[in-house]
Amino acid sequence: MKLKRIIAAFTATLMLVPLTACNGGGMREYYKNQSLDKLYDKFDGELEGGTAARPITLRVLENDTAKSSGYLKELLDGFNAAYADKYIVAVDANQDQFSDLATDGPYGYGPDVLYQANDMLMKYCDGKHITPLPVDKLDAYEYLPELAKKTYTYKLDGEEYFMGVGVNIQAPMLYYRKDLIPENWETEWDDNGNGVFDPLEDMRAMYRFSLARRAANPENYGFMQSYDDPYFACGYLFSYGAYVFGSDNTDTTDIGFENGDASRGAGIILQLAGTMNKGCVDNSITMSREQEFAAGHYFAVPNTQDMYGTLLSETVKAYRKQGMNAGEAKRAAEENICACPMPALPKSGDLTERDGELIDSTVMGGINAYAISSYTKHPKAALAFLNYATSYEQVLRRNEVLGIAPARSDCNEACTVQSNVAHSLYGMAEENRISIMPSVFGVDRIWTPLSTAFSDIANDPYRPGAEKYTKGGKPDYDALQKLLVEVDENIYSAIYTLAGGDK
Amino acid sequence: MENTIVEDTSYHGKKPIGKRLATYFRNIPHRFCAFFKRLGGKFAAIPKRIARRAEYVRKAPKAVKASMCLPGLGQIMQKQIVKGIIFLLLFAAYVVYMVLLGGKAMYNFFSLGVIPPNPWLGIKGDNSVMMMLLGILAFIITGFYLAVHFANIRDAKRTHDYVARGNKTPNFIQSLGSMFDKYFYVTALVLPIVGVFVFNILPIIFMIFLAFTDYGGNIVSTGALVSLIGFDNFAMLFSMGGLLGSTFIKILGWNILWAVMSTFLNYFGGLGIALLLNKKIVKGKKIWRAFPVLAYAVPGFITLLAFKFMFSNLGPINYYIELFGGTGKMFFGIDSKWSARLIGWLVNAWLSVPSSMLLATGILANLNPDLYEAAKIDGASAWKQFIKITLPFVIFATTPVLIGQFMGNFNNFGVFFFLRGGIYVDGYFLASDTDLLINWLYNLSIDNNYYSLGAAISIIIFVIASVISIIVYVKSPSYSKEDMYR
Amino acid sequence: MSEKISKADRLINRRIKKSRVGKRVTVKKAAECFFTYLGLIVLAFIFLFPVLWLVLAAFSESGSMYTFKGFFPSAYSFETFKNLFTDTKMYDYPRWFGNTMLVATCSAILGSLLVILTAYVVSRFRFPARKGIMKATMVLGMFPSFMAMTAVYLLMTQFDLINNLAGLVLIYAAGAPMGYLTQKGFFDTISNSMYEAARIDGANNLKVFIKITLPIAMPMIIYTLLTSFTWPWSDFILPKLLLKNRDMYTVAVGLMSLGDTEFARFAAGSVFIAVPIIILYFALTKYMVNGLTAGAVKE
Repeated sequence: MKLKRIIAAFTATLMLVPLTACNGGGMREYYKNQSLDKLYDKFDGELEGGTAARPITLRVLENDTAKSSGYLKELLDGFNAAYADKYIVAVDANQDQFSDLATDGPYGYGPDVLYQANDMLMKYCDGKHITPLPVDKLDAYEYLPELAKKTYTYKLDGEEYFMGVGVNIQAPMLYYRKDLIPENWETEWDDNGNGVFDPLEDMRAMYRFSLARRAANPENYGFMQSYDDPYFACGYLFSYGAYVFGSDNTDTTDIGFENGDASRGAGIILQLAGTMNKGCVDNSITMSREQEFAAGHYFAVPNTQDMYGTLLSETVKAYRKQGMNAGEAKRAAEENICACPMPALPKSGDLTERDGELIDSTVMGGINAYAISSYTKHPKAALAFLNYATSYEQVLRRNEVLGIAPARSDCNEACTVQSNVAHSLYGMAEENRISIMPSVFGVDRIWTPLSTAFSDIANDPYRPGAEKYTKGGKPDYDALQKLLVEVDENIYSAIYTLAGGDK
Repeated sequence: MENTIVEDTSYHGKKPIGKRLATYFRNIPHRFCAFFKRLGGKFAAIPKRIARRAEYVRKAPKAVKASMCLPGLGQIMQKQIVKGIIFLLLFAAYVVYMVLLGGKAMYNFFSLGVIPPNPWLGIKGDNSVMMMLLGILAFIITGFYLAVHFANIRDAKRTHDYVARGNKTPNFIQSLGSMFDKYFYVTALVLPIVGVFVFNILPIIFMIFLAFTDYGGNIVSTGALVSLIGFDNFAMLFSMGGLLGSTFIKILGWNILWAVMSTFLNYFGGLGIALLLNKKIVKGKKIWRAFPVLAYAVPGFITLLAFKFMFSNLGPINYYIELFGGTGKMFFGIDSKWSARLIGWLVNAWLSVPSSMLLATGILANLNPDLYEAAKIDGASAWKQFIKITLPFVIFATTPVLIGQFMGNFNNFGVFFFLRGGIYVDGYFLASDTDLLINWLYNLSIDNNYYSLGAAISIIIFVIASVISIIVYVKSPSYSKEDMYR
Repeated sequence: MSEKISKADRLINRRIKKSRVGKRVTVKKAAECFFTYLGLIVLAFIFLFPVLWLVLAAFSESGSMYTFKGFFPSAYSFETFKNLFTDTKMYDYPRWFGNTMLVATCSAILGSLLVILTAYVVSRFRFPARKGIMKATMVLGMFPSFMAMTAVYLLMTQFDLINNLAGLVLIYAAGAPMGYLTQKGFFDTISNSMYEAARIDGANNLKVFIKITLPIAMPMIIYTLLTSFTWPWSDFILPKLLLKNRDMYTVAVGLMSLGDTEFARFAAGSVFIAVPIIILYFALTKYMVNGLTAGAVKE
């Protein structure tokens, strides 16, 4: 009898332990508050140094173009030479450029310093995976434009933290072939007589030009773009008043792709898609645009600055095939590949009209920046690298090699490659014509619903007899509006329906 | 409903399939009752079993009792020093593990941590999912240890009985020898079982527990603490304004249709090609067979991507359609539910038919040619020969493979992931109308971080699938008649 | 004597046949022959063509597939193949190839050993947990495996086997015994008497396994090696999860990480990775047939 009682008591305690332990057993509250007063202490004091036998290694994650162009090697070599006496060695982390610090970092597999776009970097903030930077120790800080500062500011409990040093501003620009502009453009394609080829400043003219080019030769197109890529396609909606999240892209409960006259923007997509081919519905045009552009089949494509190098090299290849020698081809390509901001859009949203008010187009952009992983063992050395990589000389060099548009104001003024692009991006940023990708949790849920919706719209010209969004040859704005409202709802439910949406 | 298994005795030999099916279904309620009765019986027998164990403990010889208290002690008392020390060492290792890691891990399994990580301050904090995993591991290690402990008791008893029968105590070399002889199956299975437990079963148990937590959304990317929330995920699945539930039903329906159709096509496609190649008039069988084998040898993801390109909007298929004056199609577009499904079906056949063909080739080679001779003499047509001889033989021979193929198709991740990934169709929650359940799980968990919900769904799939397969498997000849050849 | 009769018989038979069958059968036979070969040619085309297309694409001069005129690249060159092996700054194909070879070979050997052992033991021995093990593996095989990936990742971080090819080998090999059914089916067909004879001669079970089972099971072992080689060879989900460093990539992960405009490189890499498997398959088709059949045939 006694044994039974003992066993019963034992079993009872055994079952009590899990019950009391469950979900921290009430101890979680106790540990919840962690004071952030000493946050920047790790950057104070003497720079860490290794020894000749055991140097400090900094793993740097860079993007693929920097790597393939050789810029990364130059940067690392330069830094390593400068800090050789401290025995700090920066190496290429050699990981996928989109690798996720949130999965790698906590286990010690992430890089120390990382260069990514703001939507990636700022996503890490909630998990505190990247560390706030001491503004007073950043050499580049005072040269950064407001936009870059705002984008990389993280707000937590009323405090503001600065998370990354912007290096380049990136937004889709219109890249076109100067040599494909018809010779008689000044009489035929310059209605306003301002000395600019109309299709480059007015999307209605571009629409007509695309149709004209195709009519002359079905192999040739004007403006070409794959609409399954929401990053490039969002701009049409933004131009008409849409936004991603409310309260300056921070309130994820307020999704605004249907806001204002956004359906007009959707109508633009629909009409433009009609001048292209089926490739605009899936990613076929994205996959082939550099080659087709080089071959002269596409007159203009929206593209980001980092792809300039590819456009150039493909065009050089195409010219050489036509019989030019290497020098000629390079010169010709550099002269003929031009870029300008995306053309203005008609306020009415109808590309077939000739007159009427125009509105400036807005594009979705991003700012790529250097940030420091919270998991780095050498924060001071990492900071030294960050300062080196964002220095005036390095950013200029980056522009020379990669053609990026520098975010630093002094570099932006002084840059040499694609300088007009860099300047106009700067101008656009100041005029609020670049809508920076949101940096909050939930932004990764917008892409697939958007991509699906844009493909659906672009599909319409290729649904003869079964159009969803066309009525009497014109975009059906009510149907488009309904679609955009659905997109908002889908994104909302993707963020909020299930666990984790308890904001 | 009478409570006996209904047997139909009016047929000699094999009954028609309809009759058999009818009998089978009529017996289901009875089997159901019997199953629960057996289960009840097992529970009712528990006190008896405990009493029996207690009796065993009480009556055990001293050495066995010693082994119960301290592993290896009984062996040492029976002069099997080395063996005893090995058991002792295992025990010591377990105790050290439990004191240093295991005990804490077991506690953490329930608490799931209290200190939130704060990398800014260098606070590593508690990683809830890791704690859950290591907790399960601690329980599994305890299970392994208990197995060793019982083996130790049994061993002490066996040695005792062996010596009691008047034999000499086996020395260490002899004991070691028995590990490779009498207990070879234990030795051989240790490694596979440990491997499967750690890398297959542990993750699955982890997954099952994950379904009862809130590990999803922001928690995944921020590494915040996870809580146990009971059945909320399942409740969400079945309520939730219907979208989640209706997505599940729609995808399940398509998934079943897909699995049946694909298995059918792959199986009969393979059989058909094998029969074609088996024809007497075909010369150079090896060369002809090489083409499907070629397709079989190219890794699947490569072929799938190649097909995706081939059918893409500016791809070669559309190029030729337009070259000959047609209008190109968007095979994987947003409206192309059925054309995408059809192409997926055919592409999957392209990938799987070759292995079915090889299988069927082997089986046809085993078919007794006399049967056909006899049939020919009877004047049976080729079609009749196929229906009456070939088909029953092949199907009967390959039931287990057929089940395997069915499950493989049911969980076929690659086809629609590669051909038509990255689309969410209206009316589906984070899924497209070609997605199978496994693709949906991928979207939910990997793409959208809803791990706990994905876990809940996979438990449901798992229950459905395993019940079906266990029934079919236990009924299949490879299980019930495995000793046939001996 | 009998020979003479049979000769005469044959002659008569042939006569009878000829008179009975006549021309119609020859036509029918010709038609059958025609349709059979037509079917074969169509099938050969269906199976060959996509592969052939990949090969053509690999020799394309342009990186993008969309510059092809239909199926055929507008210009051919060996450049892509050369780049594949020389231009390794971004995509180190030779290294990936080596990694894949290493992982696939090691996991094939280790995995096959475990599978054969498991299958043999489950087929040959009768022990208490046997039916339980058989049912359990069956049920466990039903689980959507990638849902367990999170756990695998966490586990590997604990063993410090991320970015480590050995970790991959471990997982592939440890998972292999789950698919022991085919091999068990093979061992089920081997009669017990063979083992019993050896046992009477005094060989212990280990010896029986090594001296008798393994030689008999050679075709099965080859089949097992082959199948457990091809799985890691073409898997990309697990390596993607566990390999962070580009130098550690296997070919499947590497090919999937190629940029948008690298279709020719993708095709060239694919062609090259398919070659070893194709050679193995062709050399070992016989074993494939026997292996697949052994696991299936039950009467």
